[in-house]
Amino acid sequence: MALIILPLLMIAIYVFTIKGVVGNPVPLDFKNNLDQAAKPLELSPERGRFALTMSIVENGTFALSQTLADAVYPDVGYYGGNFYIFFAPGISVLAAPLYMLGSKFNLSQVASFSLSAIFAVLNAVYIYLISKWVFKLPPWAGLFGSLVFSFGSTAWAYAVTLYQHQATTFFILSAFYSAWKYRQKGKWSWLHAVWVWSAAGLAVAIDYPNSLFMIPVLTFFSLSSINITKYKQKINFSFRPLIIISSLAFVILMVIHGYYNYVHFGHPMRLSGSIVGYKAIKEKQLLGTQESKESIDKLAENKNPVSYFSEEKFPMGLTILTVSPDRGIFLYSPIYLVGILGVILAIRKNRSLETSILVANILTIVFLYSSWGDPWGGWAFGPRYLIPALGILSIFIAFSLSYVRHFIFRIITFLLFIYSSAIAILGVLTTNAVPPRIEAVALNSGYNFLHNWIFFKDNHSSSVIYNTFFYKKISLLYYALPIYSVILILAVIFLFILPRLEKRHGN
Amino acid sequence: MEIKLSIPAKIVSKILKWMTRLDLSRLVFAFALIISISGIVYSFQHDIIVSYGDAESHLNIAKRVVHSLTPGMAQLGGIWLPMPHILMLPFIYFDQLWRSGLAGSIVSGISFVVSSVFIFKLTELITKNKSASFFTFLVFATNPNLIYMQSTPMTELTLIVFFILSSYYFVRYLLNTDDNLSLIMAAFFGFCATLSRYDGWFLVGVEALIIALIHLKKKIIPISVKGEGQMFLYITVAFFGIVSWLGWGWIILGDPLYFTRSQFSAKSQQQGWLAHGQLPAYHNLLLSFLYYLITSMSNVGILLFFVFMVGLFKYLSDSGQVRRYSIAFLMMVPFIFYVVTLFMGQSIIFTPHITPISFDWRLFNVRYGLMMIPAAAFFIGFLFFKSGWPARALLIFLFLAQFGLYYIGYSKVVTFEDGWVGLSSARRPDAERWLAKNYDNGLVLMDDYSRTFSVVRGKIPMQNIVYIGNKPYWEWALAAPQNHVKWVVLQSNDTVWKNLFSTEEQQGRLYKYFKKVYTSDEILIFERIADQ
Repeated sequence: MALIILPLLMIAIYVFTIKGVVGNPVPLDFKNNLDQAAKPLELSPERGRFALTMSIVENGTFALSQTLADAVYPDVGYYGGNFYIFFAPGISVLAAPLYMLGSKFNLSQVASFSLSAIFAVLNAVYIYLISKWVFKLPPWAGLFGSLVFSFGSTAWAYAVTLYQHQATTFFILSAFYSAWKYRQKGKWSWLHAVWVWSAAGLAVAIDYPNSLFMIPVLTFFSLSSINITKYKQKINFSFRPLIIISSLAFVILMVIHGYYNYVHFGHPMRLSGSIVGYKAIKEKQLLGTQESKESIDKLAENKNPVSYFSEEKFPMGLTILTVSPDRGIFLYSPIYLVGILGVILAIRKNRSLETSILVANILTIVFLYSSWGDPWGGWAFGPRYLIPALGILSIFIAFSLSYVRHFIFRIITFLLFIYSSAIAILGVLTTNAVPPRIEAVALNSGYNFLHNWIFFKDNHSSSVIYNTFFYKKISLLYYALPIYSVILILAVIFLFILPRLEKRHGN
Repeated sequence: MEIKLSIPAKIVSKILKWMTRLDLSRLVFAFALIISISGIVYSFQHDIIVSYGDAESHLNIAKRVVHSLTPGMAQLGGIWLPMPHILMLPFIYFDQLWRSGLAGSIVSGISFVVSSVFIFKLTELITKNKSASFFTFLVFATNPNLIYMQSTPMTELTLIVFFILSSYYFVRYLLNTDDNLSLIMAAFFGFCATLSRYDGWFLVGVEALIIALIHLKKKIIPISVKGEGQMFLYITVAFFGIVSWLGWGWIILGDPLYFTRSQFSAKSQQQGWLAHGQLPAYHNLLLSFLYYLITSMSNVGILLFFVFMVGLFKYLSDSGQVRRYSIAFLMMVPFIFYVVTLFMGQSIIFTPHITPISFDWRLFNVRYGLMMIPAAAFFIGFLFFKSGWPARALLIFLFLAQFGLYYIGYSKVVTFEDGWVGLSSARRPDAERWLAKNYDNGLVLMDDYSRTFSVVRGKIPMQNIVYIGNKPYWEWALAAPQNHVKWVVLQSNDTVWKNLFSTEEQQGRLYKYFKKVYTSDEILIFERIADQ
């Protein structure tokens, strides 16, 4: 029942908070219109991905027109006389059917953005499923974990726009769950095996660092294919070849991706992030000049995406992502302190392979993005790069709640949730264009959710529903309150009422 | 569908029995020797043995003992402790070994091999487990920072070997406090450590403290008679090095605390940084802690460092381990020492991980983090010992992944970087090339402390250099260079410059007898006119 009601409520809430404008935008609508703060294409990541979706559907090409390239600047690369977004194409491709469907209702942009919301709903379902079935945690704890991720973290702000984070989380969680199902050796093991490989291939297509984030799950998958049993007289090794057979799914996806790279960038292994930036070419005025090709090739030689990650950046990156005033997760969503406690408890009391894999996944994500040259994620609401880790950490919130049954602990959790979800709703209804502190100081601007508060007070919202139907009638505060209340009521039900019912039935 | 394979348990247990009978310490010795030689050959072929400015200084100190205008043990000086230079003496005699730096590589290389064997033995002593001990050895001996530094004439490996040796015997003593021979050995190697680097002084202090603590009684007499006796036995041997060094400073240089009070001391140098506002850890405990933590991390390897932290936690929480707090305290001695010295302004580290971009330099002295590699290797080995095979597989994966991070350039070999491009790197001014080409013979007056150029790379024999340590020639040459030296090398504002070129009168006197034969922004070279 919970698996039906919660997703429906989630869909409703996402509808009320999805960023957008009514209409089917054209390329000329981007600049100085939709790219303003609190507008749907306010930042280059969603602008670039939406531009690519538009290009695929309207022009049947992965290359951007000059108008779109200028609109998406600076996250645009140049190769072979064409412009391409720097990002992996997967999100844009997945959004294309929704774009086509939405354009029939004059909602092409809104429909495209709903892709993230779909993934967000699925993520909530998987958090619940993993908590309940993999770790045998109480259902109410799993439900609360889902609620935290969906509406108590900065993931909410990225469930209503076109970024890769919710999709990445989905592929990790769904692949993990499928690998676990495969491990159970049930009737549908083969399907789960195919999905694990497919999720890995699709994850890479939506964001290249996912090739690392999928390693723990693939390791889990591999270990689940091997079994060593000791008997008195012998030791048995067994291996399930299904893992190799099903890898065909991954191979096919990689071949398609490699073909895409080959056709557009000249080599199967050349990623979109490694082509020369439009910014560099523009600054050196190389476009349209006779010497341009050689000079552009030379610029490309110097570009190595791997070099953006380095150990030197790790201490500062980790500080920024965890405790900094502009992006610290524990400032935006302190409810995840409960998740950290859950990790510690899980390691002590449930030292299973599944626990280790999930912890390894969190550490891999934190490690990689702490080493990234831009842990702030550019202008962003909260530590957006940590969203996949938060999805997993939400499972550990369920661990905490199931191991620590004190009422006071649940009160504290609830209080932390009140704060975290208040911050989350502030972000989702206003803007993701929050500068890092270093830039904000120079611009004399705010640099965390206090910047969002200014938008909130001014009723400056990004919500298509609010802007279309409610802007002139009620303040953003009165619009937010019912949504916020629903979320808090759900939290009360999951934290206090359901456990009581469970106890009563148990007695 | 499954593919199955059975192996008789007898075969597996035979293999395991064979492995437990293996004398791994010989294998460890052989591997360590191969790694050491390979590292030295690589550094020699790429001409990076004497990358550090300090590396040449250490070579020259040792060389002056045997070949100088005034040879003798007094050339050991009073700032750097003498042991590494004394150990180089049999090799430094040969010019080829001196100029190539191999004289120092031999000492560091031998230290590396001995360290590898004894870190293996130390882990085996605690865990009684060969595979865990071998893993410790692998973590230690394959560390790229250590492999590079053991090919250089720097002093870190000398300290590390005596630290490990002293710790090994001290742990043997802790596990059986009637083992006086181990206590004496610990004291002896502690004595050697106190004459290698100042970290050794802290080591023997901690060991003495531990002896006192383990023999503490809660009665009227604070320490047992046995403890008192062992304490005196230990202190007499271990602290003799400190007493000798203070005595040396007093007798040779006129000040027992010359090493910390003189103008050449690290403390004096740090004052310059403090004046510039670029001594960030000074009187800042948090920054001192962070600087050394990050420096250790970059030397050990980021992935292995996290494993080390887990291993340390695991060790401290394992109530089955005898004297675990004492042993952990002992292994963490370098960490405490460097945090304290950073806090006091006695040492300085710049690392690009946290040094502000506005600083003049962001890479300096990161090699200090090498001292944590033995501790890291030990606790990682302990964690390996305590883990089941799935966790061991993960540890092996992380160990290999660390090399992957070096390979893709994510992690750098920071000790090499510091010697190559950091503030520790030796300068190679054009004047060096000029002098190597044009020097024919004669005494050369230069201020060696300011490291005007490399002596090892030039043609000048050490006995033809007149520097501050050649009394009374130094004073004579500064007073009347024309009577004592053929060449005068000045670097802007060094001691020779201040005495011979800073005023017009001085310049006039110099030009009367010398002709300027080389000019650059920073360095001038003069040759005596009578010799031209």
